[in-house]
Amino acid sequence: MNLQLPALAPRLDVTTQAFFRFRQVGKKVLITNYEGFWALLTPEEFERYATGTVQPGTPLHQRLTDNNFFKATYDTRKAADRLWQRRQALTQGPNLHLLIVTLRCNESCVYCHASRAGMDQVETDMSRETAERSIDLILQSPNPNLTIEFQGGEPLVAFDVVKHAIAYANEKNKTAGKQLEFTMVTNMSLMDEEKLEYLLANRVQLCTSVDGPEHLHDGQRKLPGASAHMAATKWIKRINQAYADRGLDPTLYRVEALLTTTRDSLPLWKEIVDTYVDLGCRALFLRPVDPFGWVDKTARRVEYPREDFLEYYRNAVDYMVELNLKGVQVLERYAAIFLSKFFGNDPNFLDLRSPAGAGIGCLAFNYDGKVFTCDEGRMLHEMGDSSFLLGNVTGSSFKDIVSHPTVRSMVLASNLDGQPDCINCTYNPYCGTQSTHNHKKFGSVFGRARESTICAVHKGIQDYLFERISTDDPKVLDIFQKWTTSRPRTHFLQPPTA
Amino acid sequence: MNHTITTQLSNGTATFSVDPSLYPLDALYGAAYIFIDRCFVFLDKDEAGRVVVSLSPKKGPADEPTLQSWAGEFGNELLSCAWRHQISAQNRQVLEQVTSLALAGAMGPPSLDDLSNFDFSSQPLEDPLGIAMSWEEKYKKKTPAAAAGTPAVAAPEAVKP
Amino acid sequence: MTRLAFHKSLYAGKAVDEAVKLFATHATCELSETEAAWVVQLSAPDARKELRVARELGNFALGLTVQSRQEAA
Repeated sequence: MNLQLPALAPRLDVTTQAFFRFRQVGKKVLITNYEGFWALLTPEEFERYATGTVQPGTPLHQRLTDNNFFKATYDTRKAADRLWQRRQALTQGPNLHLLIVTLRCNESCVYCHASRAGMDQVETDMSRETAERSIDLILQSPNPNLTIEFQGGEPLVAFDVVKHAIAYANEKNKTAGKQLEFTMVTNMSLMDEEKLEYLLANRVQLCTSVDGPEHLHDGQRKLPGASAHMAATKWIKRINQAYADRGLDPTLYRVEALLTTTRDSLPLWKEIVDTYVDLGCRALFLRPVDPFGWVDKTARRVEYPREDFLEYYRNAVDYMVELNLKGVQVLERYAAIFLSKFFGNDPNFLDLRSPAGAGIGCLAFNYDGKVFTCDEGRMLHEMGDSSFLLGNVTGSSFKDIVSHPTVRSMVLASNLDGQPDCINCTYNPYCGTQSTHNHKKFGSVFGRARESTICAVHKGIQDYLFERISTDDPKVLDIFQKWTTSRPRTHFLQPPTA
Repeated sequence: MNHTITTQLSNGTATFSVDPSLYPLDALYGAAYIFIDRCFVFLDKDEAGRVVVSLSPKKGPADEPTLQSWAGEFGNELLSCAWRHQISAQNRQVLEQVTSLALAGAMGPPSLDDLSNFDFSSQPLEDPLGIAMSWEEKYKKKTPAAAAGTPAVAAPEAVKP
Repeated sequence: MTRLAFHKSLYAGKAVDEAVKLFATHATCELSETEAAWVVQLSAPDARKELRVARELGNFALGLTVQSRQEAA
């Protein structure tokens, strides 16, 4: 790389360029603008751009013009459209509502983020009344599309509450008229045919955890007297088959699985991808471990430097690209989210947007009726820090909750246009920060990006993706384009009941 | 960074001074506030006008690496707060607009219940053009003294911002 | 006896007053004023407790000062 900015300084011409940020990515220079258009330039091309010597009529001039990088031809309407695509979700209100139906769980995981309770602690089950009051509040969200996600603990432990909540929500939705979806995050170990039949009949989308091959999964997720991996994988196959039996497109309707990357996962990137492919899963979400829940106590065993995570990430995604080239369809979710943003179709992922979705895009309803900005805020409460508590389903109105000063602070704190470092970062248009994570790690919702592990991961992943894009390999670009294709799973919408 | 850091192990306190010409007072308060849940924080001024910050442990004595680490982290936080203070001032308009958009979006439009519960008497409503006044009240004949002193419609300059 | 001098350019007088009121049940506090500082003379029967109360009072006064500035902004 021969980008020599100091040498360039005397010849810089700042009169021709529109606002831009730049960053060295591999052998090229990535430039992005405020609204999120980008271009990858060779050092020579960047030099011409920086010194105002790009010749009109050349392909470079056309490329930079098309992406709004010149002051003279800056298309305000085009910029506004792109910016609005990114920001329009802000105006719609909370869409994702987590219902923590119990803290009880029959598995114990080394990284448990959910702050589980023992199976005898029935007092941590949500009452039917609390479920009803929660749903009353949820249906007051101005967002026309609502997702109620059943979480725990293990939600199948409190299956009666889940069933009551679904029946009550559908009944109340006859007057609310929302497009309603239900999802459940379950370890599957308490699943049986009767429960499955109910969940399929009520179009509840199912999501589980698979950490990778059996020895890794069972080493991290302990199910007394049985293999947690076998329980999860058996039901993934059974449910995928049930979708196919109902005539649903098998390429679209499959159990979603999530994994948490621990130190033990890092050398096993290939085995992890292979496990998912063998299970018929089409997506992996390679998430690093979070500092919430038990990780506070088990960090010495499960944590790792983020450069190690990024090496694992690159190896795993390189391998996924290889598999795609051989016709195997599997994608990585972080990559899919970022690529969608690069290509101008922001998927509104709540943890990766500016401002973040806590409080304005999602809410978490705890088993006891307490309402939090997000699941991480609830986890911190279970750890003794109630900073993200917004109210209670019995005493707070929906507007009290979403206009709470904590929500306002989080919206301000997660707006990257107000944050040191982020303000100058080339990845500003595509990135996001998490106030709960900052609060836990730095003692303030603002945090310090340069020292944040979230920032390191986000920058590292975007560097990797732009490096792959910069090679101009048409086959890789084609795969990346496919990863950004989003097909709605309309089967999971509750049928209109009005 | 133009501040000196000395750790005083005799009483287990990290003490350092900050040049207020480099860091605005709001940044100093911001950094200090972040530390009050883990340390006892005390601010003072020395004869040269520099702000002296003292950080003492809340539980038990703290060793030198811990005190050095607090002082270093305070410096990082101070810089971050100072820069954010500057960015917030520069981008105030866009930050306020986005925040208003997000909060208004989350709350949704006012419902009929909201409107019926609205207490119109609790907030002084500006009515510079007299729209809320009755016709008689607005255009009634004035006494000569009143007519001389008060325009029928308040001048725009009279409107409070 | 512990003497706390809250510099007037750094601490709000009201914040110091409020902090003293709150901690008055834990120690004997005497308030006075110099040209530059609000001064609190604090004494408790136990020296360790006295130091702890003095430091908690300092934190509280700082917290209230920061909050009062935010409210005024």
